Amino acid sequence: MGQGVAVKAMIRLTAGIVALALLGACGSEKAEPSPIGRAVGNIAKATVSRVKARRSGAVAATPAPVTRADLEKFGLPILRAVIKVRGADAFLTMSDAKDNVVTWATTDGTTFTLRDGILIQTRGLGPDLMSAQVPSLGALLTNGGTYQRIYYQLGDNDQTTRRTYDCTVSVVGKETIEIFSRAHSVTRISEECVRPKESITNDYWVEGSVIRKSRQLASAGTGFIEFERVVD
Amino acid sequence: MLHMPRRLLASLAFSSILGSGPVAAEMTKSLNINGTTGLIDMPSGEAQDDATFSFSTAFVGPISRSTISFQITERLSGSFRFQTWRDWDTLFPGAASKYNNRSFDIRYQLLKEGQYLPSLTIGLIDFSGQGVFSSEYVAATKSFGDRVKVTAGLGWGRLGSYGSIGEVFGDRPPLTNGDNGTPNADQWFRGDAAPFAGVEVKLTDTWTFKGEYSSDAYLLEDDERGLIERDSPFNFGFEYQKGPNTRYGIYSLYGTEVGFVFHLVLDPKSRATGGVMGAAPVAVKARPPRAADPEAYDGGWVTQPDAGPLLRKNLAKRLAVDGIIIENLAYTAKTVQIRIRNNRIDAGSQAIGRTARALSHVMPASVEVFEIVPVVKGIGASKITIRRRDLERLEFAPNNATLLRERVTITDAGPLPANAVGDSNLYPKFRWGLRPDFRMPEPLKGEAGLRLSASYDFRPGLVLSGAVYGRLVGNVDRSGNPSSSVLPHVRTDGGRYSKFGNPGLERLTLAWYARPAPDFYSRITVGYLERMHAGVSGELLWKPVDSKLALGAELNYSKQRDTDGMLGFDEYDYDVVTGHVSAYYDFGNGFLGQLDVGKYLAGDIGATVSIDRVFVNGWRVGAFATVTDVSAEDFGSGGFDKGIRFTIPLNWALGDETTRNFSTTLRPSTGDGGARLNVDGRLYDSIRDYHSDALDPEWGRVWR
Repeated sequence: MGQGVAVKAMIRLTAGIVALALLGACGSEKAEPSPIGRAVGNIAKATVSRVKARRSGAVAATPAPVTRADLEKFGLPILRAVIKVRGADAFLTMSDAKDNVVTWATTDGTTFTLRDGILIQTRGLGPDLMSAQVPSLGALLTNGGTYQRIYYQLGDNDQTTRRTYDCTVSVVGKETIEIFSRAHSVTRISEECVRPKESITNDYWVEGSVIRKSRQLASAGTGFIEFERVVD
Repeated sequence: MLHMPRRLLASLAFSSILGSGPVAAEMTKSLNINGTTGLIDMPSGEAQDDATFSFSTAFVGPISRSTISFQITERLSGSFRFQTWRDWDTLFPGAASKYNNRSFDIRYQLLKEGQYLPSLTIGLIDFSGQGVFSSEYVAATKSFGDRVKVTAGLGWGRLGSYGSIGEVFGDRPPLTNGDNGTPNADQWFRGDAAPFAGVEVKLTDTWTFKGEYSSDAYLLEDDERGLIERDSPFNFGFEYQKGPNTRYGIYSLYGTEVGFVFHLVLDPKSRATGGVMGAAPVAVKARPPRAADPEAYDGGWVTQPDAGPLLRKNLAKRLAVDGIIIENLAYTAKTVQIRIRNNRIDAGSQAIGRTARALSHVMPASVEVFEIVPVVKGIGASKITIRRRDLERLEFAPNNATLLRERVTITDAGPLPANAVGDSNLYPKFRWGLRPDFRMPEPLKGEAGLRLSASYDFRPGLVLSGAVYGRLVGNVDRSGNPSSSVLPHVRTDGGRYSKFGNPGLERLTLAWYARPAPDFYSRITVGYLERMHAGVSGELLWKPVDSKLALGAELNYSKQRDTDGMLGFDEYDYDVVTGHVSAYYDFGNGFLGQLDVGKYLAGDIGATVSIDRVFVNGWRVGAFATVTDVSAEDFGSGGFDKGIRFTIPLNWALGDETTRNFSTTLRPSTGDGGARLNVDGRLYDSIRDYHSDALDPEWGRVWR
């Protein structure tokens, strides 16, 4: 019985705290909205949309397919990024370009930086790729070439951690791929990278000297990202 | 920015909070109902992963236990437990119906498990309390394959009370009142010793079976108090692991009772979100090559009268995105010094990186050196000097954080440059806020309320501030009874303050912070300093920017306030001069030590030792102990003042950029000895955030 009282007290306390969190905070410093309130809000929104989807009989909200015409009308270069494990799929525009390094951004503040189409940094994903030592495009296009690849990310306790791989490039062969109803004849290149107890493979589909499509590791926590250069 | 089809973009924003790494395949180093590493009621030879912080609560019939455990180092761990025995009056009508006890455990892993050798741990349970839960043990655990673990051990005290093999190390002397609250070293490993054993079998990825032979006879609960029947030494049950952080257990105990346990297991070293969340920074702006555009590098712009306000305005706009406010801006054709107040980003290095990026966009090309001075409480904490060329060259370089740190200097903030452009809108500045607040003075006891706070900055470093707190819900002590302490009731009348002072004025102070000389920081605070005391408090701190050692001195005069939360001093006729000299040392790896020697609130003289383990993301777990010339009897049940404290940053759980956190101090008992004023804004913790010993461990975030 006493146990029931303790549990009840705890529930009451928790309910009080949740209520307070929902109330959020107010004050003259508008720059700091209550993070708890916001998180609860997000979860609530997500739940509501799921319930709505279930009620309307749809398995998941399927947006109308985007066409090449939709994308080209912006008149800007567009890169598509897909992170399968997160169910994330976004079209990116250039936010910065310096020589052969281009930073692509989503509208919600996530960026992907690629050097000649090879991923060197991400920001805003959480487990980000902070920096990387990657091959030059020339090295990547050299069949049988070997080099070291190093990924730097923030690990435990936000410490910079490095993962060093020994990589070998192999040209798989010629292929034709289609990206938003446009055919591209490409050379498929496979980059196999190993370190003790782990091996990964990055894949590139190269058209001339442009990486048209790729599947590249970002970080241990994020996994692989697929890129498609949709609009030049 | 371009508006892309939103339905496709939204997914990225939302799904980014879901990512987390795969779960390790090895068997969990599980916890027992006492919240320490072990089987069901018995300990094991294992240790948790370094820095694991766990909160456990268990219900077995009329006994409930709540425990906080922290793996202090890879081998050393400590626990603080709050236990309640209900139906305490079963055999003694008229006695109190509940008995509460708080205890500390400590354990050390002597051996880590090898191919043939088991892990071996020696531990003390309730080693300084009233002895009702005291025991000592050595325990060994060996795993066989990745599904079975076997534990065997030898216990003393309670763990030697059933199936004894005799007294191995001699007689166990009884505890005297004077031992209460101090380490009971005379008893350790004395008296009857008894073996215990158990097995843990992983059935599936989420379910585990545990069975054990217990050497605790539960003499207190069964024979003495009749709370439970203990019929059998065999306990068994199942545990269910839900995600990486929670674990539930249900057991058959003593042949008569059913027990439940819940564990919340947190890893302060890694974020729940897998990484630092928050929007990406803007890219560094590249300057045109000097040869291509030599005019861009001309320093003539400094003579333009509107250059300062314009640059300041443009910078402010860029920095506002990250919650950074410009206190002052000073420049020459070659150098800029910006003084910033970081209101939101939890890592100083990230705020510095964001400021440097903004400077690269706004400052004319002739400016080669960026000096960034973080301002804390109106005073410059340090000066970070970055060459613009390094910023440009290293932005996309492999290992850019380490390379940049090699080229950056962190020095004393120095005086405000004479040509600094302030903002007349910054001072004076009135701020207010109404925020929920949650306090937890002991496990499972807490309160939630609202705090209305306001501050008025007259000028940098001179702040009038106050706060009123009102409790809405809670179960903390608010009996209103005066304590029976024989010392001045400088702390023990907390129940009266809670009862009569709700809502109450917590603080109303005028504080002045300054840098009287290089490496020196000072504070003077006058007014209603805290809930129970008012007066004047002065502090001086010496802390060179690159020093692991800091020294400080504090001198206070205070009068005890009335319990009604108002302005009066009629209830207690008590005033006192207190003061301390303090040494602070950063031992590295996040371990901070502090020694304070001086006079405490009740007029007692003594010293406080504390050690904290701080994590880059704002987690902080520590312990402290104060010994003064107050006798253990006069202090009360705890013998001397000691406790644990921890801080959990909200951004760790939510992945957001915020400097807000949940912080609490837990004591086995509150006495009036060894008490210090709770003055807001003590210097060391404020200043240290931007010194190299704090910036270096988090430097990786400079490019975040």
